[in-house]
Amino acid sequence: MTFRTRLLVVFTLAVVLAVGLVEALVLKSTSQAFEGVETQRVDGLVAQFQKEFDRRKQEIVRAVDGIARSDALRTIATSADYAPYYDAAPDLASAHGLELLELVAGDGTIVSSAEWPARFGYSEEWLTRGGDRNGEDWHTMGAFLKREELPDGVILSLVAVSAVAVADRVLYVAGGQQLDREFLSTLALPQGMRVLLYGNLEPQFSARALVGDSRAGDAETVRPLVLRVLADRRETTRILGRGADAETFHALPLAGYEDTLLGVLLIASSRRELVELEASQRSTGIWVAAGGILMGMALAWWATARITRPVRQLAASAGRVAAGDWGATVEVASADEIGKLAGAFNRMTRELVEQRSRLVQAERVAAWRELARRLAHELKNPLFPLQITVENMQRAREKYPEQFDEAFREGTATLLAELSNLKQIIGRFSDFAKMPAPEMQPVDFNRLVSETLRLFEGRLEQAHIATVLDLAPDLRPVRADAEQMARALRNLILNAIDAMPDGGTLTLRTSAADGRIRLEVSDTGQGLTPEECERLFTPYYTTKTHGTGLGLAIVQSVVSDHGGRISVESAPGKGARFRIELGG
Amino acid sequence: MRHIYSRWLAASSAAILVAGLAGWAAAATRPRYGGTLRVEVRRPGDSADPPQIGFGMADLNGSFAIAQWDAGRQAVYEASETAVGGRPYLDRVEVQLARPLREQSTDLELGKTDVVELGPNELRRPAAGRKVWSSAPVRVVALVFGPRVEDARVREALSLAVDRGAIHRVLLQQQGEISGALLPQWLTGYAFLFPAVADMARARALLSGVPAAARSLTLAADDASLRPMAERIALNARDAGLAVTVGSGAADARLAEIRIVSTDPARALGVVAAALGANPPAHAASPEALYAAEKAMLEGFRVVPLFQLPEVYGVSPKVKGGPGVSPLGEWRFENLWLEGGRP
Repeated sequence: MTFRTRLLVVFTLAVVLAVGLVEALVLKSTSQAFEGVETQRVDGLVAQFQKEFDRRKQEIVRAVDGIARSDALRTIATSADYAPYYDAAPDLASAHGLELLELVAGDGTIVSSAEWPARFGYSEEWLTRGGDRNGEDWHTMGAFLKREELPDGVILSLVAVSAVAVADRVLYVAGGQQLDREFLSTLALPQGMRVLLYGNLEPQFSARALVGDSRAGDAETVRPLVLRVLADRRETTRILGRGADAETFHALPLAGYEDTLLGVLLIASSRRELVELEASQRSTGIWVAAGGILMGMALAWWATARITRPVRQLAASAGRVAAGDWGATVEVASADEIGKLAGAFNRMTRELVEQRSRLVQAERVAAWRELARRLAHELKNPLFPLQITVENMQRAREKYPEQFDEAFREGTATLLAELSNLKQIIGRFSDFAKMPAPEMQPVDFNRLVSETLRLFEGRLEQAHIATVLDLAPDLRPVRADAEQMARALRNLILNAIDAMPDGGTLTLRTSAADGRIRLEVSDTGQGLTPEECERLFTPYYTTKTHGTGLGLAIVQSVVSDHGGRISVESAPGKGARFRIELGG
Repeated sequence: MRHIYSRWLAASSAAILVAGLAGWAAAATRPRYGGTLRVEVRRPGDSADPPQIGFGMADLNGSFAIAQWDAGRQAVYEASETAVGGRPYLDRVEVQLARPLREQSTDLELGKTDVVELGPNELRRPAAGRKVWSSAPVRVVALVFGPRVEDARVREALSLAVDRGAIHRVLLQQQGEISGALLPQWLTGYAFLFPAVADMARARALLSGVPAAARSLTLAADDASLRPMAERIALNARDAGLAVTVGSGAADARLAEIRIVSTDPARALGVVAAALGANPPAHAASPEALYAAEKAMLEGFRVVPLFQLPEVYGVSPKVKGGPGVSPLGEWRFENLWLEGGRP
């Protein structure tokens, strides 16, 4: 991953995190604001519903009072016998818009019942239980909830009571409405609101007791809320459902006239508008955030390009330097850290060029000095016999003229031998200087190795050196100059023989791997130190007391001219292994 | 002198006025021929032919002859010139069929009809000038259990749970009489021997040993007017521990109303037994034998008599010459006439 890509990723992540954080905070704060508004709206709706509910209570109270004040009831109240009026309640209830109506005598027995006509004569103890309760008390109480027993079961009702006193007799009028689906449907409800009523008429929660504008699954949905309200006996608000179908349920405990909890009124307000508004806001927020992120990414792209351009230029220049272009420089376009880095780079390359130039010059001087030392050493050895021979011949001419001829013959022979030696030395230097370009042709290295080794058989035998020839059978021919490679191999074998003055084993091995051939020449001589290994291929360098130090330099030159590589592995006392790799 | 003359004149005028009023009264109470008597009944009368036997319209045969039969709606009878007792005063009797009791009373109050049947509710409502004709108790109202109610304890418990007193006092407005017998007291003289008192404690005790599944049953009423009574019985049964549902059609038990058709107790019992689908009682030559036969019919509580009710009619004040029903509830319209007559 490039520096620019990494930088771009970091910038992008930073932008995404920043935008996401801001978006989340904005969404949360606006959601809280919406919830606050929604709570106010629901509270308003609940208050509106309660007002409507109270209005209906007042209507029931008025209807019951109307019946109590009616002439018909006066007639019944003043009658000596209530039996003829056992069916009066249904007509009175119908005339005053009530579903439930009971006319109850002062002793608590039912005179007439609209909801259960057959119950005449039965006792309504709840009316007379509070013995000191008079008509004014009932009137003050208004409408209240009551558990009502009907032929078909138990229901919840909203009831008001009025007491009619005539002389020393009292006739109670208890009338009201069933709190059922029909009653709830007649309540004027605001848009988006529905009302459910749970009648707490059975010991356990019952889905049948839930009436109103109920939907499938409502019973299970509201069950925990109802149970909570029944347990706590206080108003509770909870959001039930999910998504756009969720509703805010405001649950009101409904107590009867003796403070018995008879039901729970559930006022449900749809959260659809709020949810849709929040969804819309979230959608808008996401689009805005996506836009911000994209813009941030574009800016990051531009900024990273701008920031990394000098770095990339530096990297490219460093690459050129590594490739050998020591003169590569970077344009210094700013005064910041990058600009300072570019300046330092330029200074570094300049110093590198200068140091390299000084190093080359120093190496050249050292090479000339080594050459001079080697030449002096090589030339000094034959010159000394020449000087001695000439001085012997002069001395014999002056002191022993009779022996001069013999001395002359011996002296000239010596002079010729030493001059030949000098000529040979000069020829080797000349050969190194005149290394020709290789003439490439397919060469069978196994054969080359075998034939070259055969030239040294006598010498190896004299030096008590055993040979091991390990040739790869499937070695393919490699394009090379056979003469030069044979010369290199000869130098390596001679080098190995010199390294084993007390005998040893010479191993020649060929192998092929990865399309290249490998030629190894190993000896079991005294080995080399790491320093010696490092300088071994330097021209005119030698560890021996004789020789020009050009043998391994010639080998390296040949191998290099063939595009190959030569290396050495050695340690003191453990012999040495020269490895040549060619081809590929 | 003048004073004497004035007193004579006043006395003479008064004598003339009294004589005139007496003549008018005599003329008003004198039977008059002509006119149409309008009668309304709740029975549907939906058979193809007018009834020939039984009570009500069948009683007109002989004195009147059927002139028009519109099944389920109307029957028109015209006076028979060849009647054994002589031609009736009325020219015609028009009978409106299948009229609910309440509408009959309304029609009577509005002058749309002359004779209507009265139920207990209608009877207690005051109506100016209305006359009431009543027979002796001739209809027995009884609980009749079907074969599905196999447990005699359930049947007995229900019979003991029924508070006849409250029903008689309130629903029947004390019309008729409480009875535990199939035949009325006036006919046999021994009806009081059959118990008719509620015993809720014993009813509960009987039901305590009855499985819960056998403690619920359905109850139907033969006539809509009996439904309030059925609902009260269901309420009484509930107090005893029985779940009784009032319905219609096929039910486990029904409230039946059976007409006493004869003043001969043995014959009347036979007809009642036939109406109930029971075996005909053995011929009873003595009151003791008749009592034994009736008691045998009531054993097992398959049939539980509750009340003996009369036939009661409300009559317009314009109808003269009544009562138009006999103690057995038969229509006797041949001696009736209408005030002022009608063309």
